[in-house]
Amino acid sequence: MKFSFAVLNNSINTGILRPGLVIVLLFLSSFASVGQTLRIAVAANAQFVTQALKNAFEKRNPVKIELIVSSSGKLTAQIEHGAPYDVFLSADMKYPETIYRSGNSLDKPQVYGYGKLVLWTVKGISFGNGLEVLKDRSVKTIAVANPSTAPYGVAAISALKEAGIYDVIKNKIVYGESIAQVNQYLLSGVADVVFTAKSVVESPALKNKGKWIEISDSLYQPIQQGAVILKYAERNDLKDAQAFYNFLFSSEGKAVFRSFGYEVR
Amino acid sequence: MAFDYQPLWLSIRLALVTTILLLVIGVPLSSFLAFRSFRFKPVVEAIISLPLVLPPSVLGFYLLVAFSPNNFLGRVLQNNFDLRLIFSFPGLVVGSMIYSLPFMLHPLQAGFQALPGGLREASYSLGKSKWQTLLRVLIPNIKPALLTGIVLTFAHTLGEFGVVLMIGGNVEGKTRVASIAIYDEVESLHFHAAHIYSIVLLFISFVILLIAYSLNKRLFKS
Repeated sequence: MKFSFAVLNNSINTGILRPGLVIVLLFLSSFASVGQTLRIAVAANAQFVTQALKNAFEKRNPVKIELIVSSSGKLTAQIEHGAPYDVFLSADMKYPETIYRSGNSLDKPQVYGYGKLVLWTVKGISFGNGLEVLKDRSVKTIAVANPSTAPYGVAAISALKEAGIYDVIKNKIVYGESIAQVNQYLLSGVADVVFTAKSVVESPALKNKGKWIEISDSLYQPIQQGAVILKYAERNDLKDAQAFYNFLFSSEGKAVFRSFGYEVR
Repeated sequence: MAFDYQPLWLSIRLALVTTILLLVIGVPLSSFLAFRSFRFKPVVEAIISLPLVLPPSVLGFYLLVAFSPNNFLGRVLQNNFDLRLIFSFPGLVVGSMIYSLPFMLHPLQAGFQALPGGLREASYSLGKSKWQTLLRVLIPNIKPALLTGIVLTFAHTLGEFGVVLMIGGNVEGKTRVASIAIYDEVESLHFHAAHIYSIVLLFISFVILLIAYSLNKRLFKS
């Protein structure tokens, strides 16, 4: 590195290097690392656990993993239009199945974990009576992930309906585009309580922020979260993509998922 | 699937309210900027122009922080007026007014500056007050600029997305505007609905600009 910088500096000083050439060099250098990089598209709720999996995987394999975090729906739309991602960890099964059906994945999706729904606050709100607290006057704004695109949003609305309080509190609900925006609404203080994933409140960064309760399994369908290897991996780095995918289902991978609050069967 | 027109109406309502309010603020402010010079004028002008270059996400982020009950402005509004601007239509109006401010001010200021200086002086020497001069003499003479400001503000607010995404909260009938609805429909893979919203927005935007350009031509001729 030092050497090439010296050459560059020299050339610039002597006027040999034209700006156009610098631009060309910059372009070339950005291509140099392609091939050893694995791109993992990951749904917002699974970003923290995937970060942990990435760190564990990179320790033992000479490969660089790049995470692309977004909502499952947006990632799916991108993948369907040729986004260069190797593996996709969705927040549900619907989107990876769509990808499988349209031929953009190598195989059928597999469930890597069952996501749990939690109610979370960083304000002085007591969860003693469970969901009933949402009717309280101190709760003005409840943030939920958009149910038309986010599985945790579907689960939250279903839990509210099942508990018989949806109609009472529906005017307090605002919608985040994904779990990630819902978390941000809570931490910036604009929402009083939010429905989020257990994997969020169990993540190292947020573990001691506020308090949360788990929503009873009887109030919503368990959130099956699936992963697929994408067609793009065939052209990029299939061996590492497969190794990472298998790692998700290994006993070590499963332990990581469990420690982030997922149920693994 | 029944198609929901509400987001479109909401977008139009937001654009309309924003345009009217900005017009009320913009006329005195732009005439002030056009006719006065003071020490910090470049600073004021730079601040007004900021929304032209700032990513909407920056504005959205600051508004989110400002509106939060954790912070000063949000707390004052909540404790004294029981008002939460975040996730509300009034909040979107405030955001849109900041976001579209230069689109109203720049044409108006340019219009005022293009007027011959003698016009104002003649009016003053005939005994008209500042406000009378502004309303009866100056404004009737900057109609094309006025129209440009109105049209640009309306169209720009209609197309607003980033700010709404950050502070809107996607509440049906309150903050779920057409641009957000399109985003959601695409993400839900409902391309058909996204097409309908998009084509309507495209059509409205085109018609507004077409009317503006045709009118401007006529106004300039006369």
